Amino acid sequence: MLIDVILLTGALFAAGLFLAFERDLVSVLFGVALLSNAANLFVLLSSGNPEGRATPVVGQSLDLMVDPLPQALVLTAIVIGSGILTYLIFFVYRLYSDHGTTDLKEIFPPSPEDSSSAKGEKQS
Amino acid sequence: MNTLVVPLLLPLLAAIFGLLLRRHVPLRKPLFLFSSVGQLAAALWIGGQTLQVGHLGLPLGGWAAPYGIILMADTLTAIMLCLSAATTLAATAYSSAEWWSEAEHPFRGPLLQFLTLGINLSFLTGDFFNLFVAFEVMLLSSYALLTLENHGGQARHNLSYVLLNIVGSALFLCAAGFAYGTWGTLNFAQLAERLAAESGSNRVFFFGLFCTGVFGLKAGIFPLYFWLPGSYPTLPIAVSGLFSGMLTKVGVYVLLRLYATILPHDLTELHHLMGWVSVATMIFGVLGAICQNTIRSVLSWHIISQIGYMTLCLGLFSEMAVTACILYITHHIIVKSSLFFIGGAAAQLNQTDDLRHMGGLWKSAPILGLFFLAQALSLAGIPPLSGFWGKYLIVVEGLAQDKIAFVVGSLVASVLTLFSMLKIWLGAFWGEQPEDRSSPFENRSQSFSFWGKAAVCGALVTVSLVIGLGMPFFLEIAQKAALDSMDQRRFIEFVFSLKGK
Repeated sequence: MLIDVILLTGALFAAGLFLAFERDLVSVLFGVALLSNAANLFVLLSSGNPEGRATPVVGQSLDLMVDPLPQALVLTAIVIGSGILTYLIFFVYRLYSDHGTTDLKEIFPPSPEDSSSAKGEKQS
Repeated sequence: MNTLVVPLLLPLLAAIFGLLLRRHVPLRKPLFLFSSVGQLAAALWIGGQTLQVGHLGLPLGGWAAPYGIILMADTLTAIMLCLSAATTLAATAYSSAEWWSEAEHPFRGPLLQFLTLGINLSFLTGDFFNLFVAFEVMLLSSYALLTLENHGGQARHNLSYVLLNIVGSALFLCAAGFAYGTWGTLNFAQLAERLAAESGSNRVFFFGLFCTGVFGLKAGIFPLYFWLPGSYPTLPIAVSGLFSGMLTKVGVYVLLRLYATILPHDLTELHHLMGWVSVATMIFGVLGAICQNTIRSVLSWHIISQIGYMTLCLGLFSEMAVTACILYITHHIIVKSSLFFIGGAAAQLNQTDDLRHMGGLWKSAPILGLFFLAQALSLAGIPPLSGFWGKYLIVVEGLAQDKIAFVVGSLVASVLTLFSMLKIWLGAFWGEQPEDRSSPFENRSQSFSFWGKAAVCGALVTVSLVIGLGMPFFLEIAQKAALDSMDQRRFIEFVFSLKGK
């Protein structure tokens, strides 16, 4: 039971990293979303193998219960993650409306004056 | 000890009321100033208490450790709280001074308060997952502040900051999952107890290494620093003062807490690795600073180099080294944010941030020159300014432990720091005034704004001078903080003695 969750976590991390290294910002967005969900699944994994254990409700059974704490942690992490993802979507949209593209190579053109002068200009 | 929630409640309430009072600018400014002054008072009071009794703690909701989340403070926490309150106060005051010359975004004030909430919570928390939440509060406000007031395609420079920190947060979550899955607890005290019980095992080493990576990313150590110099120069000056002072130092604080209070003290390989990484950080950071051409990017690269000094203390890891680290953090936060503010005032006078188009400030604003000189020499480590003492202790400790390479690295970085500070000095203060520049102040409000900013810089310079000249007093406090934070047995006993309901 645990081994397939471990494999799934690994696959999610791999897919997330692969997408995050793409040139297109939308792919990067999806990659980051996958990465943060892979991390959530990893935390859930820390409650151990649920096979043969009772649901964590007091008074229903005398068997060993599943550890409920990782589920509470993951709930918090999911809420935070969705907030961050919302921000990231707006940020990508902002970059799209600034530069008219989501291609990272066009957003950061490799020109020599880009790195030194563009940063120092006073913002209006 | 209910006082411990004050540094959290004040910024939260101020931020919420600040959002409600969006259209009432005259009411908002005093609100944020009041909140920062209140935080400073609470932090000083907590500091006084911890000096007397050692540890303070508050089990939230009356749930005793290790089942509930606890807030806890020792002298180290109190020092960090004081610094964060002082920097927020300075940033808010500087922001108010800017109000005379240029309009700020109405969300800036509330977001600064949310940022402070996150920072204060990460100092006060005694729980690994709560620390994650604190980091997220802090990071989310920092993302918003980074993109809030950027125009003309500047926002793209923050992409690497945002993406790397999101990935860092995912890794942080994995570290928490690993700790809970392996040792069955997230409470600092219980974690310390259980880690000590299997001290020397590979799992403890791996956990330490993994956490070092996660918090090293937030602190900006080699080779994880490249998000920093791109994003900080795009911020408005008032915000960048707070960012440069506090944000990376939260990472350093957590590393310090981790090494001193949670991990067993015998992880010499990890400490040694940290030492080498730190030397690389300070050398690469200062070399980066030398080849920049704007005040803010020179200062941003300097942050990286200074982070190297702080983590080098963790690499040497002894009671003296931790004392040096605490002194260095104290010095650095004040000096770094005041340098950003001074740079901002200089940029207002010259109407540009680019060192190639500045000059002659020494004639038009000698007071700014004096402030800059005091802080820059302090950063380079000239006695008896505050920066000297931290570096002195590091060198003494490095020599005592026979780690010559670390000592040489830190001295070379120090000389190069002086060199790059001279670059700002020659570019902005010395030299000929550019001819095309009109009179510095177009109207009265510009001049008000400048003197307001100069007053904030002056206050920070005074604090920094007091720290440098009153070193025996501050050294004693730092020694107590180092002793308390490294005394794991007392910490564990204290946390488990906290009574819930």
